[in-house]
Amino acid sequence: MKRSYVIKRILYAVFIFFVVLTLNFFIPRLGVRDPAERYYPPQGAMSEIEYEIIKQFTREQYGFDVSTFQQYIRYVQGLARLDLGTSLRSGSPKVTALIGERLPWTLVLSVTTLIISLVIGLLFGTLAAWKRGRWQDTTLLNASTVSVALPSFFIALMLSFYLGFELELFPAYTNPNMVAQFDWSWEAIQVVLNNAALPIMSMALGGIVGYSQSTRNSVIAVTNEDFVITARAKGLSHTTVLYKHILRNAMLPLATSIGMSISGLIGGAIIIEQVFNWQGMGTLFLEANSTNDYPLMMGIMLFLSAFAILANLITELFYVILDPRVTVGDKR
Amino acid sequence: MSTKRVWLVVCLVLVVSAAMLLMGCQRNQYPRRTDRTNTLYVGVVQASFPSAFMPWLSREGIAPTIASMLYSTLFSYDDETGRFLPNLAREWYYVDSQGRPIVTESGDIDYDRLETEGVKTLVNPQNRRTEQYLTVRIELDSRARWSDGQPVTADDVYYTLDIARNNYLANHAGALAWTADLLHLYSNSGELQLQGIFTYNHGAAEQGYVIDAAEQDQVVYLHVRGVLGAVTSLYTTVLILPQHVWEPVVSRESQLNSRSPDERMQSLYHNPVGSGPYVLDAAESGPSQIVLRRNDLYHLTKDDASPLYAVETIRLILYQELNVAIYAVMQGHIDMLDAGLSPNYVRLFEGRDDLFVSVAEGIYTQSLVFNVNPVASEQTPMRGLLASKSVRQAIALAIDPEMLIRLVANGAAAPMSAGLIPESLSDFYNPSADILGGEQAAKLQQANQLLDQILPEKDEQGYRLLDGERVSFSILGHPGEIELISFLEIQLQKVGIEIRYQAKGSSPETTYLWTSRFDMTIQGVIFSLANVDIMLNAHFVARGRTSNYGRLVEPQLAADIEEMRSTLNLHRKYELLYNLQPVIAELYYKVPLYSSEIVSIARTDRYSGYEVTPGATVFSTTNLQQIRLIDSGADSVASCSGGSAVVSVAAVAEEE
Repeated sequence: MKRSYVIKRILYAVFIFFVVLTLNFFIPRLGVRDPAERYYPPQGAMSEIEYEIIKQFTREQYGFDVSTFQQYIRYVQGLARLDLGTSLRSGSPKVTALIGERLPWTLVLSVTTLIISLVIGLLFGTLAAWKRGRWQDTTLLNASTVSVALPSFFIALMLSFYLGFELELFPAYTNPNMVAQFDWSWEAIQVVLNNAALPIMSMALGGIVGYSQSTRNSVIAVTNEDFVITARAKGLSHTTVLYKHILRNAMLPLATSIGMSISGLIGGAIIIEQVFNWQGMGTLFLEANSTNDYPLMMGIMLFLSAFAILANLITELFYVILDPRVTVGDKR
Repeated sequence: MSTKRVWLVVCLVLVVSAAMLLMGCQRNQYPRRTDRTNTLYVGVVQASFPSAFMPWLSREGIAPTIASMLYSTLFSYDDETGRFLPNLAREWYYVDSQGRPIVTESGDIDYDRLETEGVKTLVNPQNRRTEQYLTVRIELDSRARWSDGQPVTADDVYYTLDIARNNYLANHAGALAWTADLLHLYSNSGELQLQGIFTYNHGAAEQGYVIDAAEQDQVVYLHVRGVLGAVTSLYTTVLILPQHVWEPVVSRESQLNSRSPDERMQSLYHNPVGSGPYVLDAAESGPSQIVLRRNDLYHLTKDDASPLYAVETIRLILYQELNVAIYAVMQGHIDMLDAGLSPNYVRLFEGRDDLFVSVAEGIYTQSLVFNVNPVASEQTPMRGLLASKSVRQAIALAIDPEMLIRLVANGAAAPMSAGLIPESLSDFYNPSADILGGEQAAKLQQANQLLDQILPEKDEQGYRLLDGERVSFSILGHPGEIELISFLEIQLQKVGIEIRYQAKGSSPETTYLWTSRFDMTIQGVIFSLANVDIMLNAHFVARGRTSNYGRLVEPQLAADIEEMRSTLNLHRKYELLYNLQPVIAELYYKVPLYSSEIVSIARTDRYSGYEVTPGATVFSTTNLQQIRLIDSGADSVASCSGGSAVVSVAAVAEEE
C-alpha cells in the first residue's frame, strides 16, 4: 500500500471531521438571539428582574456567557477530552455516558443484522447468478421489487403484530427488564437474543435482498469476463471456476457496499428501535429530538459522523489491499 | 480459503442465525398475565422515561405525574367544586391583622370581609411601590411523613418556598413562576429583602403571628398578592421538599437544578425521599420501566382507615410506538394505557367486553389563532387583512363546528363557546359569549356579506382577490392536524379564501410563532378555575414571548385582565371573568374549533371500578383511588393461549 495515499486519506478524513464538528457547533446557533430564552421562555407572572436573573444563571450554566468563538474553543477542548457536553435531561447526565449506555445495544442489532444479511445475501446472490433466468433468479428479482416497495417500519410493525402479538412466536417488543437485568449470564444472553429476533429479522430482510441483488449483478458481470471463459476452456470444474475465479473478483464491488453499511451501522435503526422499544442509539436520538435536547443531539450527530468517517476511511484503505489499482490515480 | 472452509463458515453463520431465531421462538410469558399480586401494569407512550426524580426538574411527559406520586403538594384542587382538598396541609384560611380567620359561619372564606379586613400594604423593596397583600394561615396534617419516616413540618414548607424564590440556591424558572405571587423577595445579590413566609422558627412571632408551641411544626403563614390564582399555584403546583434531605446538599456552589450536580445530589435524584402515596423502587426501575410501590407511611386514608390508593405496585412500561402499546393492552400484556387516543381507534375496541373505554370530557380547546399584529419585518398585505376584525369574523363564521366535530373528531368532541371558558366553570361561565352558534347557512351568508364589503373581487375559481392576488393563508400545524386543516380549507373555500398547510417543525415557538412568521396556527388552549389568572394574561396580553402569538394589543382588555388578576375580591373576580368572555369572543382572535374528548383504554380482567374522569385518561388519581384488584383467583387471570382472546370478567366488573 502506498504510504502517501494512506496519509492523504487520513488527513482528508481529519479535515472532514473538523468541518463536521464546526458545522455541528454553529448550525444550532444560527438565528438564536439569546439561547437562555430558548431554554427558559418566560413563565407565568415572573417579573422582568426575575427573568433577567434566571437568564443570566442559564447563560452561565450552559456556557453562553462568553463569545461564540470562545464557546467553540471550549467545545473543541472538550472534544479533545472526549467530552461531548451535558444533556439537558433531568439529572444532567454526560452525553458520552448516554451514548456509552446505548451504543452496545444498537451494535447487537446492527452487527448481527449485517453478518446475517451478508452471508445469506452472498449465498442467495451467487445462487441466483449461477441459476440465471431460472426460478431462483426470478424469485430474487421479485423479492427485490417487494423489498424496495415496503418500508422497514412497515415490515417491523407487521412482524411485531403477527409473529409477536398474534402468534406469539417472538416477543412483540423488548422486555423492559432486559437492559437493567443484563449480567452476561447465559440466561441474560438468551433474553437478549430472544428480544432481538424480530428487530433483526425486520432489518435483515432488506439487507439480505440488497446484498443478494448486488452479489448477483456482480457475479454475472464477472462471469462474462475473458478470464472466466479461459478458466472454463481450460476444463476447470464449475465449483473451482465459481469460487476461485468468479466470486473472488465479484467481491470487490461488494467491499464498497459493506463499507457503506458499516458506516450506517449505528444510526440506521432508528425506526426499528422505536417500533420494538429497543433502547439503542436510534431511540436515544428520538428522545433528544422530542425534548429539544440540543447538546445530546449534537453529541449523537458528531459521534455518528465520526463513526461514518472512520468506517469510510477503513473501507478505502482496505480496498487498496483488495485492489491495488485504486491508488493509480494518486499523484506521485 | 478453500471451498470446504467457505462452506463451513457459511453453515456456521446459518446455524447460529437459526439458533438465535429459534431461541426467540419460545412461548412468551408476559409477566402481567401470571401476576397474581396487586400490581397495575401501565403502558406509557413517549420517547423516554425521566432519568432523575427531583420533582421540580420533571417537566416532560409522564415525569410530572410520577413526581406527583412521589411527592405531595399542600393541597389538591377539585376542578368541579373549585375547592382545595387536603393533602400535606389539612386547612387554610385568610387572616385579618389580628390573626383572626376571615371565614363565614359555615367555615368558608368570607370574601366580602376579606377585602376590607384582610388587605394590608407594604413597600416592595425591589421597585419601591406600595403593594397590597393578604395573609394566609396554613395548617399541616400532623400525620404527614416523609418516606424515610421523618415528619413533614412547617420548616419543610418554609425551606421549599424559600428556595424556590432564591435564585442563588435554586436556578429554576418554573419554581419562580409558581411562587411569583408570594411576597418573599430576594435581591440580585441573593440576600433576603422581604420575608413572606413565617413559621415558629422563622419569624412568626416577630411578625405578630401567634403559633402555640404545640402546633409549631404544623403552622405556616404566607403573604400573598391576590386571591384564587395567587394561592392556587402555591398550594397545588409546588411539590414540598424534605429540608433534612436537601439542605445539606444544596448550596450556592451546588444549586438545585445545577447543570453539573455532584454525587450527593445525583444520589438524591435517583433515590427520592418524598411524602406522596408511592415510593420509587430504584432497584427495579430502569430506562424502560419505572416501578412504584405504595408508601405505607402515606398519611391520607379512606374513611374506613384503609389505604387511599388500593393498588400496591405500579409498573410503568415505556412504549415508543402507540400502535404497539394499543396492541399490548388488547393482548393483555398491560392493564391500561396512559395515553389519549384518537377517536379513530374506538372502532378497534368495539365488541371487546374485556376493555373499558373511557371517553372523557376534554379540558383543552383547539383554536384557530390569527396573526393579527406581525412585527414589521413579517408584515405582508395578506397578513394585513387579518388585522381586520371583519375578516376574522367572516372566517370564524364560515367554519361549521358541528360538521367539524362529526368529520374531523369523529364525534368525540364538544363545541366550545367563543369566550373560551367551558360551561362547566359555572361560577363565571357567560352564555352570551357563545356567538358562533346558529344555522350554518345563515352564518355562511353573513360571512360572505362581510367579505364582499372588503374583498369584492374574485378570480375565475371563486377565490377572492386582494390587489389582483388570490387571498390565501397558510395554517401552521403539525402532521396530526393535517386533517383538521384540510377541513378548514374546504370550509373557507366557501367564502373564497384559500388555505394551505404549513408544517410547524420541532420548535415552532422560536421558529415561527414568537417571530410572527405565520398567518394562522392551530393552538390548544386551556382555561380553568386554577389557571385563568395566569393564562388569560398569557393568551391575550402582549408581553414578550407568551402564548399571545398573534400579538394582540387591546389596552382595555389588558386592563380588565389585570384588574381580574389583582382584585382581592373573589366575587369581583368572577364578575370580571364573566364580563371578559363576550369581549374575547368578539375579538375573533382565538376562534374555538372544538374541545376534544379524551379516549383511553383499560382492561377489566384484573382490575375493576374504573371511572371516567373529566380531562384525564384512565390512569388518573381518581381511578387509582377507585380501582380494585379482582379477587377471583386463577380464573380471572387472562389466559395466554396463542395470545389472542382473554377470559373476560367484564361481567364481574359490571356487577361490582
